[in-house]
Amino acid sequence: MRRLAWWIAPATFAGLFLLYVPLAAVAVLSFNATRHGQSWGGFTWDWYVRMAHNQAILEAAWNTLVVGLLSTAIATVLGTLLAVGLARIPWPRWFRRGSDLAINLPVVTPDILLAIALVGAFAVLREWWPVFKPGMITLVVAHTTFQISFVCLVVTSRLVTIPRDQIEAARDLYASRWGLWWRVLLPQLAPGIVAGALLAFTISLDDFVVSFFVTGPDSTTLPILIYASVRRGVTPEIHALSTVIVAATMLAILAVSVIHKRHQPE
Amino acid sequence: MARPIVIDGDLTTRPRLFIRGLMLIGWGLLWMAVFLYAPLVGLGALSAATRGEYGGVEWTLTTANLWRLAGYDELGFSYNNLLILWRSVWLAAVTTGICLALAFPMAFWIANHRPRVRHLLLALVMVPSCVNLVIRTYAWQQLLGGQMPPAWLASQLGLIPPGGALYPSGFAVYLGMVSCMLPFTVLPLYTSIERLDWNLVEAARDLYGGRLRVFRHAIVSQCMPGLIAATILTFIPSLGMFVVPDLLGGAKFMLVGNLIQLQFGSMSDWPFGAAAGVFLIVASLLALVGLRAVSERTEGR
Amino acid sequence: MPSPARPLIALLIAASALSAGESVTAFMYSEYIDPSLVAEFTKRTGYDLKIEVYEAQEDMIAKLQTGGTDQYDVVVATDVIIKQMIALKLVQPLDQQLIPNRANVAKTWLNPPFDANNQYTYPYFWGSVGIMYDTNKVKASPCSWKWVLDPAAAPGPYVLLDEAKTMLGCTLLAMGKDINSVDLAEVRAAKDKLVAAKKGAKCLGFDSGTGGKNKVLAGEAAVAVVFNGDAARAALEKPNLRYEVPVEGGNLWVDVMLVTSKAPNKKGAHALVNFLLDADIAARNANFIHYASPIEAALPKITPEDLKNPAIYPPAAVMSKLLYLQDLGKASKLWDSAWTAVKSE
Repeated sequence: MRRLAWWIAPATFAGLFLLYVPLAAVAVLSFNATRHGQSWGGFTWDWYVRMAHNQAILEAAWNTLVVGLLSTAIATVLGTLLAVGLARIPWPRWFRRGSDLAINLPVVTPDILLAIALVGAFAVLREWWPVFKPGMITLVVAHTTFQISFVCLVVTSRLVTIPRDQIEAARDLYASRWGLWWRVLLPQLAPGIVAGALLAFTISLDDFVVSFFVTGPDSTTLPILIYASVRRGVTPEIHALSTVIVAATMLAILAVSVIHKRHQPE
Repeated sequence: MARPIVIDGDLTTRPRLFIRGLMLIGWGLLWMAVFLYAPLVGLGALSAATRGEYGGVEWTLTTANLWRLAGYDELGFSYNNLLILWRSVWLAAVTTGICLALAFPMAFWIANHRPRVRHLLLALVMVPSCVNLVIRTYAWQQLLGGQMPPAWLASQLGLIPPGGALYPSGFAVYLGMVSCMLPFTVLPLYTSIERLDWNLVEAARDLYGGRLRVFRHAIVSQCMPGLIAATILTFIPSLGMFVVPDLLGGAKFMLVGNLIQLQFGSMSDWPFGAAAGVFLIVASLLALVGLRAVSERTEGR
Repeated sequence: MPSPARPLIALLIAASALSAGESVTAFMYSEYIDPSLVAEFTKRTGYDLKIEVYEAQEDMIAKLQTGGTDQYDVVVATDVIIKQMIALKLVQPLDQQLIPNRANVAKTWLNPPFDANNQYTYPYFWGSVGIMYDTNKVKASPCSWKWVLDPAAAPGPYVLLDEAKTMLGCTLLAMGKDINSVDLAEVRAAKDKLVAAKKGAKCLGFDSGTGGKNKVLAGEAAVAVVFNGDAARAALEKPNLRYEVPVEGGNLWVDVMLVTSKAPNKKGAHALVNFLLDADIAARNANFIHYASPIEAALPKITPEDLKNPAIYPPAAVMSKLLYLQDLGKASKLWDSAWTAVKSE
């Protein structure tokens, strides 16, 4: 740990404060006995109980999780391969420029256009393969499509920082290409891949527009449910759900890091 | 027999190299081509069509949509579309600026910890994003309301009339935007800052007098890839954002995202919506090309 | 396709066909049906009922246009887009023989201007768009559009409705013009009036009907443009909140039921429409939702408080001032430009 300038820590905490203040507000509201938030009506677990019994919410949460994990997995693999392939092979300039723009297309396209484009693609593909009926499969495919770009972008920015002579030196040490990948490239790339996957997962969790158009009657996701209920007036059940999600995510992260620590005694 | 070349210590031939490359990138590109590129071409064609009488699409090709984008609509010529574009660009630019200003210290602070702790801290930055954006924005609405501490403090300081609320206002909008986009700035920036070679920074400190010059030449030029990625991932999505500005700014001003959404929504003018969307895509791609050019120039140093 | 996949696909298709015979899928606004009616429908007809919800009409119609017509059986939509849905072939003509309960519908709602002889639709609920205000903060009378459209006459913070057609139409009404005017000068004047209203110091901006209602409920706003049902529900929580149709007039809307053109379960769809037109069922539904029912035979069974509530069932004098919004066809672009101008100037 090196000494940093005095203003780094306060600036960081200001940023973290900005990020967590809404979460704190949501958590407080989830325990508030009054429905409309402006005043404190007393502490209650009521909303959590109601949420736990709400079939629609539970089903939507499950769908969201499944779609998120599946699409992130596929997108991370495809995106990483894409990033590595583009960076390590000496493609001609025009190809590199073109593919760069092409990969950035989903980041640059407005959500609603992405949605219409995907729905159009599914409509055409449905003629030959009925598996493209609006439902979980189309959701996973749709999410993966825009996630690939994000993963690729993040991994590429990480890849570029790995010096080429390091790779050349590794080549001399390990005869096989597989060894090069596994022992040298992947470990260095890991933070980038993890960051890309996290980003992709987050985007999938929050996606509404694309999901709405692409989903079928049985595969509602959480954002769709939340948008619907928000237009009617946010119920504290949703606040309870959000708080549960945050708590669950934090627990999951803690669990992963503890397991990691046990596997690698330092 | 193809001429052998050596690349990264690997002896191979050019064709074999490209085949290997294709095996790597082929899957991703094929996926995108089928599900995205092909339909986007269709949408591009749609932008030349006309709105049918009851909201369908008539394939009488016309350039009317382009003229409409330029400002020649049913009420005569107006600067409305230009205003919409300008407001969106300004919002995105200011948001990106603030996010970068906050993301740099945060990335440094995280990278300064032990590797195990770093991952935990990064995850900490991403956790707020797992709560739905609309919920978070409504939370900001509540927090900035008239009876809450922040508004009370502001009225004590004389910044707003007593009893007033901090929203709807520009301040509230930027608060919401930064709170939403910050994780997307921190993550890519961090991947570069983590690999920062502090020796170069030390050397720069000896060479250059001022801190700003050290920052510019030693730090920023090393972080260029992450910086570019962070800027792209913050600026571009901010351009198309309209939920946060609507909820925290009172929906008084239309942004590009609103305009496009409206065409696919109550106005049922898909061709114009496609035209506006295609315009946004092209403009963003140009911005991207510009950013890449900047990064290539500084990397040369 | 490789041969092992074929029998599997056939099995999947057969399975989905089987289940389609057993269930009916309805697409409607959220919280727009009494949940106990879902089980009741299964009891009476044997079909499973699945409710899918949407929050904005445009999302619904866009979804149907992009291939959703074979995903849903019955769709609930507002009058203003019916002509569009018929023209785009998203719905099919009703088999009147399967809907004997159509005799229950009040004469006023039969043969509407947007669907001659009820070929495609039957009414579900109807209501109005007007103004909701806090009687503690607003002492002026009578209720007028001036409260939200004239910054000088605004009695307190106000919220405008974030719906292009409805807000523009009501502004035209407030100026004494036809609610569906396509006259360039009139529309331009309406646009200018809305821009001035938006720039008023007391204007809190635009919001959905529910959003505006919530702002008045929370005390942030004194006046808002809302849907009558939302306002009625708010008045239940805070009796000092009142809903009125302004003196200049208001917008009448009716939500109708339609059967999609490619409905997977045509018989089930008609069974659902018939079910919802039943007097007892309609009354139960109305008592839960607190919107006005167009089913004449159900009126005797509706809670007296609702029947006496002028916000839900307005007297004849007010009814005459409530007007339908129409699909403007080719002239829609004019209103589109006007609304864009309202939101950018």
